[in-house]
Amino acid sequence: MEALDIWGHLLQGFATAGTPVNLLWAFVGCALGTAVGVLPGIGPATAVAMLLPITTQVEATASMIFFAGIYYGAMYGGSTTSILLNTPGETATMVTAMEGNKMAKSGRAGAALATAAIGSFVAGSIATVIVTLFAPVVADFAVKLGPPEYFMLMLLAFTTVSAVLGQSTVRGLTALFVGLAAGLVGMDQITGQVRYTGGVPELIDGIEIVLVAVGLFAVAEAMHAVLFEGKLVETENRMSRVTMTVGDWKRSIPAWLRGTAIGAPFGCIPAGGTEIPTFLSYATEKKLARGEHQTEFGAKGAIEGVAGPEAANNATVTTALIPLLTLGIPTSNTTAILLGAFQNYGIQPGPQLFTTSASLVWALIASLYIGNVMLLVLNLPMIGLWVKLLKVPRPQLYAGILIFATVGAYGMRQSAFDLFLLYGIGLVGLVMRRFNFPTAPVLVGMILGPLAEAQLRNAISIGEGSAWIFLQRPMSLALLVLVVSVLLVPRLVQWVARKRLKASNVIS
Amino acid sequence: MRAHAPARHSPFLQALVGVGVLLLAMLLAVGAWLIPSDAGYGGVGPNFLPWVVAIALGICGIVLIRKARRSGFLHMGDHDGEHPYWPGFAWMSAGMLLNAALITRIGFVLSCALCFVLAARGLRSAQAHSSGRPKSWLIDSLVALLIAAPVYWMFTKFLGINLPGLTDSGWL
Repeated sequence: MEALDIWGHLLQGFATAGTPVNLLWAFVGCALGTAVGVLPGIGPATAVAMLLPITTQVEATASMIFFAGIYYGAMYGGSTTSILLNTPGETATMVTAMEGNKMAKSGRAGAALATAAIGSFVAGSIATVIVTLFAPVVADFAVKLGPPEYFMLMLLAFTTVSAVLGQSTVRGLTALFVGLAAGLVGMDQITGQVRYTGGVPELIDGIEIVLVAVGLFAVAEAMHAVLFEGKLVETENRMSRVTMTVGDWKRSIPAWLRGTAIGAPFGCIPAGGTEIPTFLSYATEKKLARGEHQTEFGAKGAIEGVAGPEAANNATVTTALIPLLTLGIPTSNTTAILLGAFQNYGIQPGPQLFTTSASLVWALIASLYIGNVMLLVLNLPMIGLWVKLLKVPRPQLYAGILIFATVGAYGMRQSAFDLFLLYGIGLVGLVMRRFNFPTAPVLVGMILGPLAEAQLRNAISIGEGSAWIFLQRPMSLALLVLVVSVLLVPRLVQWVARKRLKASNVIS
Repeated sequence: MRAHAPARHSPFLQALVGVGVLLLAMLLAVGAWLIPSDAGYGGVGPNFLPWVVAIALGICGIVLIRKARRSGFLHMGDHDGEHPYWPGFAWMSAGMLLNAALITRIGFVLSCALCFVLAARGLRSAQAHSSGRPKSWLIDSLVALLIAAPVYWMFTKFLGINLPGLTDSGWL
């Protein structure tokens, strides 16, 4: 696609996204996203999942703009909680919490909040430009990929999401296969064969994504809170004026840019997760700090330690839309649910999306620019408003979440059976939460599983019934090698390190 | 801050999780065995992935049991040591299950309000303050209705999503 084409499409996108109705959807999405980001116990994935029933009524472009706003807003809101509240939050904001909390304790909460919000804006905007420029290029390239390559890409997404990102490979893989099993329930896409329904007619259409997402996140979270968090005492840091000094700006700007540079590539590859880029950015900032600034790390709180990771986080989250839109490969909980939302409209994200649903895609991309500006306004002058949300008493918060969970679960199919199923999935989620199983692989496995199966079967048909097809095509062979090395290299490194340690022990 | 000494993660419970995974794998295997293998032209039939998943989950289950018996799971989360508070959980479960059972009979608003009040009661008793007082019941009921009713109106009136009502008016 030529540069001029992209410009034309983008302007068209702004025209669509800029209609009053769509602007309103974007605004409500951003506000709601910030709120769920601030509120503990509920994240963007849960919020989007609970609202999936609106896909049956609201037009596709409007609801995708709305969901994107939630997705984005939650990233801004999440940093507020991790800076002001002394409890470990979700992984995406864990790094922000390390320095942000220290800054808040030494009376600099305002500066931490400001650098987080402005950093998110800078990184989000740069990353949106990257999406604008590169998504069409990737889509053009992806058109040339056949089923074997697609299957391998999906396999790569499965391995990275389950085996690399979590702390335990076995638990990650278990979660992935549980997700794949859930995806098997219902009618097989190719032969029409019914699988694993146990004769229950409600299950022929498969298990609803809403149920699994809301059960695993919202219900399990509420159950975990009542069982284990009753005695947990939360303390809140004192707010201060949300401004940055000249010195703060000087230290923040390079950190934002470095964070963006670290974060953006991680979103583009089908590996997902914000843990690695945010930690990398934090480590970089700590290493580059000199003199007085260096001593602030881990003590008074260094502003670079908030600015860098926060920018990296937003850059990753934004560029993660590239694999989602161009390849149809989700790499996180929220993007998996966004893929589900597309599917509810009968739209399959992938290279063709840019031609078949061009107006939708470009309106979505334009809405990211608009959303970033809205969020900056929502999060800087109006920050005091959001901070009040932290005062919502826990019992009412979690009980309220259950009401919204009911809306999501019941609203999708109007079946009380689903509410019982929701409780059951909540129990599974509780066990997973308790024993530290990651949840993203379940969602990714469940949503991507049926697509991967179809690609696998198409690929083998192309190979006339032989699996050698995966080794005969250079691109798919390369991807296969990558998958195997992703699984084996960390293990080999560990093994060699252990051998060396043993050897050195023997010598000494 | 904890009010009591941290509980230890029991290796028995960890092993039980592994057994659960193994049982699920067996169930899936039985299901896979019942699916016809007619592969047609493709060479891979509808029972292929079910077998892969069943076998992989079986292996995961065995590895989990072995890990639990040897060293226990590594890298557990932050809240590891808390003792579970079952009475609160029972209140919440009652709320959710009654909600599922009653929603089509007494309507979304009342059913969800009931769920809210019971769940909030469980959460309050977990925090062990002001749980039994009639005032907190009253506040919870009011808050429940103040959340459930507008949610009901918003979704049924503005978004056109079907939620069950007690009457046909669309307001309750």
